[in-house]
Amino acid sequence: MPQPFESAKAPKDPDATRKLLATLWERNLPVLRDRFAELEHAVVAARAGTMTQPQRDGAIATAHKLAGSLGMFGYPEGTEFARRIEQHLEATGPVDALRFGEDVAAMQAALSL
Amino acid sequence: MRRILIIDDEDDIREVAALSLESVAGWQVYTASSGAEGMRVAAAELPDAILMDVMMPAMDGPTTFREMQKMPNLAGIPVILLTAKVQGVDQRRFAGLGVTAVLFKPFDPLTLAEQMSAALGWS
Repeated sequence: MPQPFESAKAPKDPDATRKLLATLWERNLPVLRDRFAELEHAVVAARAGTMTQPQRDGAIATAHKLAGSLGMFGYPEGTEFARRIEQHLEATGPVDALRFGEDVAAMQAALSL
Repeated sequence: MRRILIIDDEDDIREVAALSLESVAGWQVYTASSGAEGMRVAAAELPDAILMDVMMPAMDGPTTFREMQKMPNLAGIPVILLTAKVQGVDQRRFAGLGVTAVLFKPFDPLTLAEQMSAALGWS
C-alpha cells in the first residue's frame, strides 16, 4: 500500500517550493533526455522515410508527456513545441520530416539542453 | 486537513503535484501510479478528492472514474481529471463524463491547490 507522499521538509512558502521543484527537475533530467532521444530517433526515421506506425505512436505519446510536464517546470515554450509535435504527428498523412526535426530542435533549444 | 489522492502514471507529474499540494496547501497526499492502484488506495483511504490523469496505460482515467462510480464507497468522492489534451472536442468529452472538473497540464505548481479548491467549492 502506498504511503502518503513524503516531503516533511516541504515548506509553505513559494521560494522554498520553487527550490524543491528545481530539485525535482534535476532528478527528472535523465527521463527528459531519454524522451528527447526517442524523438530524435523518430526524426531520423522520418527523414529516411522509414518511420513505422508504432514508432510514430511512440513519438506522439512522448510528445504528449513532454507537453504536459515542461510548462510545469517553468518551460511553457517547451510545452508549446511539444504540443505542436504531438498535433503534427497525430494528423493523418505523412510526417513532414523537416518540420518535425525543426520542432524537436526548437523544443530542446527552449530548454537549453 | 484535506486528504487528496493523485493518480498518474508519470512520476514527474505525480511528484510535482504532490509537492505542490503538500507544500503550498498543506494537504495530505496519497499517490498511485495506475487506475487499478488508485482504486485500491481510494477504497483504503477514502480521500476528500481525487486528482487523476486521463491518459494512463491499462485503465485510463475515464475508465477508472466509471469503475469508481459502481462502488458505493467511492462514488461520492469528487474527481478532477488532469489532461494535456487542449482541443475542444477532448475537453467536452471529458467534461461529459460527470467528473467534478477538468484541469489542464501543464499546471502551475504554485496555484494547483487554488484551482482544485475553486473547482471543488472549498473555501
